[in-house]
Amino acid sequence: MVQTPVKTVTKLPPSSHEFAPVIHRLEAGGAMLPDTPENLMQIIGLYKAYAVPMDFYWRDLLYIAEQVFLEPFPFFKYFLSQEYLDRHNHYAGDDADLRIWRGEATAHPELLAFMEKGETFKMPKLFHHLWHDRINMEFAEACMRAMLWHRGMGGQFDPYLDTDEYKANADRAIKAYFKFNPVMLGLYKLFPDMFLEQVRQLSYYANLGLFWEVMAPVFFEMSDRYDEGSIKSVPEAMNFLVNGIFAIAGRPIYHHVYIRGECYEIIPKSKGFMWLYEAALPYVEAVFYRTAPFRGTKSYNAQAKQVPEDQKDFHYGILYADVFPVGTAGIPPTQLMQDMLHFLPPYLVDYYSQHCRGEDDMLIQLGISFQRSMYCVTSAVIQALRTALLYPLDDPNPKHLMANRKFFEAQMDRFKRPEARLRDIQRQDYR
Amino acid sequence: MLSTLIWLPVVGAVAVGFLPGNHTANRLRFIALAFASGILLWSFWLLRQFDLTASGLQFQEYISWIPQLGLSYSLGADGLSLPLLVLSALLTWIAIYGSGEGVERPRLYYPLILLVNSAIAGAFVAQNLLLFVLFYELELIPLYLLIAIWGGEKRGYAAMKFLIYTAVSGILILAAFLGMAWLSGSGSFDWNSIATGDLPLTTQLVLITVLLVGFGIKIPLVPLHTWLPDAYVEASQPVAILLGGILAKLGTYGLVRFGLQLFPETWALVAPGLAIIGVVSVIYGALTAIAQKDIKRMVAYSSIGHMGYIIVAAAAGTPLSLLGAVGQMVSHGLILAILFHLVGVVEKKVGTRELDVLNGLMNPIRGLPLTSALLVLAGMASAGIPGMVGFIAEFLVFQGSFSAFPVPTLLCIISSGLTAVYFVILLNRTCFGRLNNSLAYYPKVRWPERTPALILAAIIFFLGLQPAWLLRWSEATTTAMVAAFETASNPQVATAIELPAKK
Repeated sequence: MVQTPVKTVTKLPPSSHEFAPVIHRLEAGGAMLPDTPENLMQIIGLYKAYAVPMDFYWRDLLYIAEQVFLEPFPFFKYFLSQEYLDRHNHYAGDDADLRIWRGEATAHPELLAFMEKGETFKMPKLFHHLWHDRINMEFAEACMRAMLWHRGMGGQFDPYLDTDEYKANADRAIKAYFKFNPVMLGLYKLFPDMFLEQVRQLSYYANLGLFWEVMAPVFFEMSDRYDEGSIKSVPEAMNFLVNGIFAIAGRPIYHHVYIRGECYEIIPKSKGFMWLYEAALPYVEAVFYRTAPFRGTKSYNAQAKQVPEDQKDFHYGILYADVFPVGTAGIPPTQLMQDMLHFLPPYLVDYYSQHCRGEDDMLIQLGISFQRSMYCVTSAVIQALRTALLYPLDDPNPKHLMANRKFFEAQMDRFKRPEARLRDIQRQDYR
Repeated sequence: MLSTLIWLPVVGAVAVGFLPGNHTANRLRFIALAFASGILLWSFWLLRQFDLTASGLQFQEYISWIPQLGLSYSLGADGLSLPLLVLSALLTWIAIYGSGEGVERPRLYYPLILLVNSAIAGAFVAQNLLLFVLFYELELIPLYLLIAIWGGEKRGYAAMKFLIYTAVSGILILAAFLGMAWLSGSGSFDWNSIATGDLPLTTQLVLITVLLVGFGIKIPLVPLHTWLPDAYVEASQPVAILLGGILAKLGTYGLVRFGLQLFPETWALVAPGLAIIGVVSVIYGALTAIAQKDIKRMVAYSSIGHMGYIIVAAAAGTPLSLLGAVGQMVSHGLILAILFHLVGVVEKKVGTRELDVLNGLMNPIRGLPLTSALLVLAGMASAGIPGMVGFIAEFLVFQGSFSAFPVPTLLCIISSGLTAVYFVILLNRTCFGRLNNSLAYYPKVRWPERTPALILAAIIFFLGLQPAWLLRWSEATTTAMVAAFETASNPQVATAIELPAKK
C-alpha cells in the first residue's frame, strides 16, 4: 500500500481495524485513496470530465425546477433555454459571490461545442435529442430520485417538505401554474397528494442543481491547478475540496418557481437551509453510499434476498458499485461514463489506451477512475465532518486523537462489507 | 473434376510443407488458406455444374488402378456426397482461417489439415470400395497427429484412443467390403458392381452388422462413442471442427451409401434396431450433455445426440427422412463448427471452459458480447429454433421418420427439447450473470477471430430461411435411393418394414 507523504506524529497505538492503513493515512491528513501520481492524474482528469456535463446538469435541474415545473408533457425539459445556458454560476466569473473557478460564469465552452455537434455532426437540437447524441440528463435525474427516494438522511430540508408551510407554498404555486387549465386543477382537487409529491421531487431538482452549481467550478479549478502544477498530490486535492466545502457550506438551498414572470418561493432562502447539511451530505449519503441496484447487478426477487429490506442498508452507490456492467444500455452508470467520455483530458485518453482493452473499454476504465475520485471526495467529506465535529489532526490531547480515530473507524466500518471498493482502490491494477 | 478436390489439397500440403526459405506461420497459413479457398471455389463450381434432375452419379472419373485386386480409381458424386464435399471444403477453410497466426510447427500443421481434407473428399467421392477404405484410413494418420501434437493436456491419451477406435472401425469396414465382394462373386470392388441381393439373408445380416459397427464407431453410436468426448475435447478448436463437422459424417455417409444402398433387402430388417440405437444415442447424448461442467465436452456430447437423428432418419428410409438425413449432416456440421469455434474463442480469451467459473460474458465492454451473442445463436440453431438450418433438418427428420418409427421419432422430438435444456444451462452460466471483477481482464476478441463464426452464422440463417439451397442438391438422389430400396424389398422384408408401424 502506498503511504501518503503527509507525516504527523501519531501518539496512538496502531489501529486494529481492518482498514488500519487507511485510517492511519486519514489521521495523517491523507485520503482513503493512496497518494500516487497515477491516482492524482486519474482523479483530477475525471473531475474535469465530470465538471463539463455537470455544468449542464445543474443548469437543467434548475431549469426544470424553476421553469418547466409541473408541465404535464415535459417533452422538452432537456432543451435548455439560452437564458439558463447564459446564467451566471455563483462561484465562477467576475461577478461571482465567491470566485472558486477563474473561468467564465456561463456554460463551459466544451459543453457548448458538444451540444452543437455531439458525437455526430451539427444538426437541429431535436435530432441530437432523438439520436441520443447529447448530455444524459437522465443520470442527473437518477441522482435526484435517489435523494428523493431515500429521504430522511438528516438535515432540515427533507422534514420541511412535509410541513404545512411547504404544502401551502406548493399549493399556491400549483394553483398559479394551472390557473388557466381547469382539467389539471380538477385533477389536483381529486389527487392533491400526487401533485404535492411532484413538487417535492421538483424541490429535490432544485436542491441537486444548487449542489452541483458549486461542485462544477470546484472541479474545474482543481483541474486548472493540476495543469498549472499547483496541486501535486492526492492530499492536496482533498484539502482543496475540504476548504471548498467550508467556504461554501452556508450557501442557501431553496426552491423558487417562475410562473408567468412571477416568482413563487416554495422553499424560501429565508429558511436558512445550508448547502453542506441539506444538499452535500444527503447527496453523498444517497448517491455515494446508497442509491439502488441498477439492472443486471442484483436480483429484485424478494426470495433471493439480495436487496436489503431496510433502505438505510442500501449499498449500491459509487463507493460500492460494480463498474463492470457499465456499457449496459440505459443504466445510470453508463449514462454518466458516456457523458464524461466526451470530455476526457488528452492525458487520460493516452493513459487508458495503454491499459486493458485500450479505447475499447475506456468507459469502464474511466468508471473505475471515477470511483477513485469519489473516494477522494468522500475522504474530503469525512475530513470536513471531523473538522466540524471533532478535533484537529495535530491535537496534542490523546483523548481527542482517540475520538478522531473512533470517528474514522466508524466511517471505515461502512466499507467492511464485501461489495465496498475501498480494498480495490488501494491497488493500482484495479482498472 | 472431382480429382481436383483430392489432389489440390495434396499439392497445397506439399507446397506449405516444402516451400523453400524461412516463412512465418502467418505466411504459411495464408498459403494454406489460398489452397483451401481454391478447394472451396472448386466445390462451388461443382455445385453450379451439378444437374439437379439427375439422381445418379455425376462428374465420374474412372482409371483402372490394380485390376487384379479389383481396385480402381473410380470417382463420382451425387446428391448424397456433393453437399458433404462442399461442407468439407468450407470447414477446412474455417479450420485453417480459425487456426490463428501463431500456430506452432506450421509446416506440419497446415499440410496435415489439407491432407485430412484430401482424404475426406476422396472418401466422399470414391466409387470403389477399396478406394473408399484407402481414403478412410488415410485421414486417420494426419488426424492422429493433429490431436497428438496440437491437442490439450491429455492429447496423447485422446489421440491414441481415437487411433485405436478408428483403426478398428476401418478394419471392420474393410472386412465387410471384402466379404461383400468375395461372397457375392464380384471380381471388382467397384460400388456399382457389388450386388448383395443373391447372398443368403444370414450372410447379409452378418455383413451389414459388421458394417454398422464399423461406421457406428466413426459416427459414433452409443455405446461405441467413448473415443469421441476425449478426442473432441483434447483436439484444438480447428481440429475439433474437422472431427465433428466432417469426419463424423463419413460414418453416416458410409451407412447410407454402403448400408442402405448395397443392402436394400436387409436394411429393412436392421432398421428398427438401428432406430432404437439412434434414439438411445440421442437421449444419451442430451442427458450426458446436461451433466457436463466443461462446455466443450457439453458440445461434444450434444454432437452424439444430434448424430442420432441422422441414424433414425436413415433407418426410416422414407424420401423425406433421407432428405432430412442429408440436411442434418450438413446442418450438424455447420452448427457444431460454429459451437466449437466459439467455445475455442471463449477458452482462448477466458482461459477456462468450466461452467462453474465462466460467467457474465455478455457484458457489453469487458466481456465477449459478440461471441456470446453468436453462442446464443448457435445454441438456438442446435436446439432447432425456426429460422435456422437446424430447424429445417430436424423437422424433415421428424416428419419423414414418424410414419416408419413413430415412437422413436417422438422420443427424438422430446430429446430435441433436452437440447434446449443444456444450451440454456450453458448460455445462462456462461453468457449471463455478473463478470468476476477480479478475473475479467480478458483480451478483446479480434475481428479475424470472429469472422469464422460470422460466416457460419450467416450460412445457418441463410439455409434456415432458404432451405431449398440445402435440399435441392439431394432431392433427386434420395428419392431414387428410396425407390430402389422399395423395389428391392421382397415381401418378407416388406412385412418387416410394416412391423414397426404397427407398434
